[in-house]
Formats: sequence, C-alpha cells, structure tokens
Amino acid sequence: MRISDRRFALFLMTPAALFLAVFVAFPLFRLVADSFFKISPIAGGPRDFVGLDNYFRAFASEAFIGAGWRTLAYTLVVVTLEFTLGLGMALLFTTLGRSSQIWRTVFMYPLMIAPIVAGLLWKFLMIDNFGLIGTLLHQAGILSNPNQIGWLSDPDIVLYSVAIPDIWLTTSFMCLVLFAGLQNIPGDLIEAARLDGARAPALLFRIILPLLRPVIAVALVVRGIDAARAFDTILIQTNGGPQSASETMSLLIYRTMIRFGDPGLASAMGTLYLLAMLAVAFVAVSTIWRPGKDS
Amino acid sequence: MRLAERTTHDAGAPAGVPAEPAVHTATRTTHRRRGVNREGLEAGRRSTRALLWVLLAAAMVLYGFPFLYLLFTSFKTPIDTIAVPPTILPREWTLENYTNALGRSGVLASFVNSVQTAIISTVLSLALAVPAAYGITRYKTLSGRIFIMAALVTRMVPPVAIGIPLASMMAGAGLADTPIALSIAHTTISLPLSIWLMSSFFEAVPRDLEEAATVDGCSRLGALWRVVIPVVSGGIAVTAIFAFLASWNEFLFALLMTAIRSQTTPVVIANFQTQFGLDWGSMTALAAVYSIPVILLTLLLQRKIVAGMTLGAVKG
Repeated sequence: MRISDRRFALFLMTPAALFLAVFVAFPLFRLVADSFFKISPIAGGPRDFVGLDNYFRAFASEAFIGAGWRTLAYTLVVVTLEFTLGLGMALLFTTLGRSSQIWRTVFMYPLMIAPIVAGLLWKFLMIDNFGLIGTLLHQAGILSNPNQIGWLSDPDIVLYSVAIPDIWLTTSFMCLVLFAGLQNIPGDLIEAARLDGARAPALLFRIILPLLRPVIAVALVVRGIDAARAFDTILIQTNGGPQSASETMSLLIYRTMIRFGDPGLASAMGTLYLLAMLAVAFVAVSTIWRPGKDS
Repeated sequence: MRLAERTTHDAGAPAGVPAEPAVHTATRTTHRRRGVNREGLEAGRRSTRALLWVLLAAAMVLYGFPFLYLLFTSFKTPIDTIAVPPTILPREWTLENYTNALGRSGVLASFVNSVQTAIISTVLSLALAVPAAYGITRYKTLSGRIFIMAALVTRMVPPVAIGIPLASMMAGAGLADTPIALSIAHTTISLPLSIWLMSSFFEAVPRDLEEAATVDGCSRLGALWRVVIPVVSGGIAVTAIFAFLASWNEFLFALLMTAIRSQTTPVVIANFQTQFGLDWGSMTALAAVYSIPVILLTLLLQRKIVAGMTLGAVKG
C-alpha cells in the first residue's frame, strides 16, 4: 500500500525532529524546571521547590542586570562595526570587480579560525607589557608609553576590547553576504542613476542600501544573535574581568553554575536569557525570513 | 531575491546550476573586459581604481596581520615570545614551541578526539538533515513549515542554556566524557544549519527529475536515493564542511562535557593558560597547528564555502 505524500514527508522529518526534541527541547525543559528549585551543587544533594524565588534573586542581583546591559552593548558594538566594515569591504570588492577575486578568498580566512584561537591571538596582541599593539602605537609616537591603554585591564574599555576578535572573525561573513547581495543589483539601475547625475553618496544611500535591505536585515539578525551568545572569545581573554566589566550573560550563567555552584539561580538566568533571545528571534523570523514559503 | 533564478547579462553564460547555487555565476555578471564599458558599480577611471587598490592593500594587511603574527610568534624561542618590547619577526627561528606543545601529554590525543568528534557529528548531522530537508522542500506540508521554523528557533538557543542540562543527561546515560556525547551536543548546533542549507539545495532541483523516476517505477525513497541525492551531492559536500567546522571549532560544550579522555583541542588550548601558567609559545604553536588545516581547506574549497555561506542569508 502506498502511503500518502503527507505521511511520507512526516516520515522523512521524524528522525531529525526526534533528535531535536530529545537533545534540545528536553534539556530546555530541564533548564526551566530547574529554575524553580534550590539545588545543591553536589550530585544527589537536596532539591527544594522555591517557586519564583530564583527569578526574584536574579532580578535583584546587580550582576544579572549588569550582564544584561553589557550583553546589549556588546552586541550593538559588534554588529554595528561589523556591518560598517563588512559593507565597506563588499563595496571595495564590487568596485574593483573580478580582478579582486583572489583577495576576496583571502579575506575569508578568519571565518575558519576557532573563536578560542581568535580570542587568544588578540589577547596576545593587546595584553599589557608584551602586547604588540601598545608597542607599535608607542613606536609610532601615538602613545607616550606602551601600556598607556590597558586594553584588557581597564574596566572602562575592556568590553569593547574583547569585542575586537569577534569583529575580526565575522566581518568576513558580513562582507560575503553583502557582496552577494550587491551582485544582485541590476547594473542598468546604477547606470541610469549615474546618467541622472547621482554621486557616490546618493548612489549608496538612495539606491544601494534600500535595495540591499532584505539582505542587510537577515545578516544583522544572524550576527546579532551570535554576538549576544558570545562566550569563547571573552572567556579566554578576560574571563569576564576585570571587576566583571566584560561579563556578558553567557559568562555570568556559566560562572553562576560552575564557579559559584548555584544551578537553580543559573537556570533562572538561563531561562530569562533564552526568553529574551526567542522573543527577538520570533520577531525576526516572522518578519524577515518566512522560510518554507512557496516561491 | 533569489540568486538561483537570476539570469545573467552575458549571453550564453549559464544560469544557476542546481548543485552549486549561483553565487559565482552572479559575480560573472558585472564582469566586463578591462576598460571597455564597465557596467554597474565597477569603477572605471584609472585613478579611482588605483586608489581603491591601495585601500584594499591596506585592509588586507591589517586583516591578515594578526594571524601572521601568531605564526611568527610560534617560531620564536619561548623566552622571546614574552620579550618586552615584542618584535614582529622572530630574532631566531626555532621549532621549539612546536615540539613543546605537541610533546605535552594529552595534546596528540586531543587531536584524535577533535577529528573523531567532528566526523561523528558531521555524519549524524547529514543523516538527519538530508531526509528532513527533502521532506520539507518537496512536499511543502504544514508540518514541514512548522518544523523548519522550530529548527531555526533552535539556532537562537544560547548554548550555555542547554549545555549544562545536556551534560547531566549524558552523564545519566553513562556517556560522560565520550566523543559520542560531545558529537551529539555538536549536532544540536549543526543540525538546524544543515537542514537550512540542504533545504536551499533541494529547492534548486527540478521536480520533473524525480517525477520521471517514479514514473519509471522507482519508489519515492528510491527516487530520493538514486536520483536526487546524486544531483545535490555538491550541496551535501558544502553542508558537510559547515557541520565539520562547527564541531571542530566548538568550545563551550567541549568544556562542559569532557574531562580527560575525550577532551578536544580547543579545550586544551584554553587550558594552557591556567594549568601551565602563561605558556604563550606553546599556545601559539598549538593554535597554529589546529587552524592551518581548516584554513587550507577553505582556500581549496572556497567556491563551495562561499556558496554555502551566502545561500542562507541572501535567499529570502
């Protein structure tokens, strides 16, 4: 007997759906469940139901509120810079045309580097005393002393310093996506605008950017979500320090769980973090992506 | 905006072929012979182009330098790596850092673990994603639409939120500190991406292809296996690269779920920092050894990777 197409489609999707249910949905369910308990960090230790107490503690803690703001600031800085630099590079590659193709490939290399390696590398460049950046700026006469800027030790700027590897790693992604989008703009349109006397800025702001809007929106959402989850690069550079000045949400949850041994509180923070991300994701997906729609 | 459906301005140039969606065919459209009637955004004037090349050169130097510096540092003597003030080039080229790093116990084992975990995760991810993506794109059912939405939403989940419950689940199943457990965890990251990529590749396969096969007496599963899969093999390769890289470079799950036996190299690199003080020389050497194979892979397969990278985002 031949099963219907609908059943057949379901049959094809079932293994993947089961996998995601068991290894993503169920752990999430556990996370939410744990957030209502006070849990001893020792395996097999006591577990007491405390209702919403962990949530009250999260909102009452300065660390949680601080990490929320820092995550937001970090995400905005990363995405803005990446977008600006990525667009600049994409325009550069487009205006140079086919002859720059090989450089486009070379430009892609950071995408393959592990974030942990990127973080390490930039830590090595920015670290006090033997960091190269401070030394070069000093030798160029810009800084009076190589340690004048404490890239990773000054709490006022550390959040921006730890963002550098992230920006370095994924500007290539922005550039690639925007470049592909730029290739889709009909040449005649640009030609016509040029004949009408449009200059470069007008061309960029009145024609190119509006036409790229859907591509830009998707790229910003994808990267925004990644940046808001950043963990590896920050952990290896500063471990959230100094004085928690670079402690973003992922790091705070990790430390609450592992270092401070409070799984209940960490789960409550994780749940809130997850809800915030899902809210953003939901708005983004429903307004921009509309996947699976008929063409 | 759909790249694959774009036709090119150049007469005779092929439109997007199914197996390699059209990112590079699209780049062909702006191409005009040097000096002759450049079209669109490509700059024509000589002086402008010269200026742009200078800009590009500056950008490439700034962008490429950090990794070169890592390489140079890895060839310095261990003492020179933390010399004040630092030098760009090694005063004396030596492989000492490499022998130190690779000779340390657990380092070679971590490479084996990384490769093993990445391969298991890639195979698992493809085995689940290929049929699922086919089911979603070919039959366009409501359940398919819901499923791809759900898969996309999983991509938004912060790893730290599921990492800890997942680790305790694995421990409960007796899989603590095994490559299997870690590769399952990595698949939670790569599966949504793989489904998304494979859906785009299946979308480009003409429907007539398997209709003809089913008319010839093939079952639907047979048509998928014998007719459709060979056509999208290029797309499967791209998806495999991404799944492999996702696992190869992953750190947080590896940190949470492995102890000694199944530790992957990123965790070992991070551990150099605490366990052995600040051993920068060995760290840079190990980081170089770990990154170079994937960088070479990228340069080799760049067309495919660019296609995969842009597909998800540009296709609206």
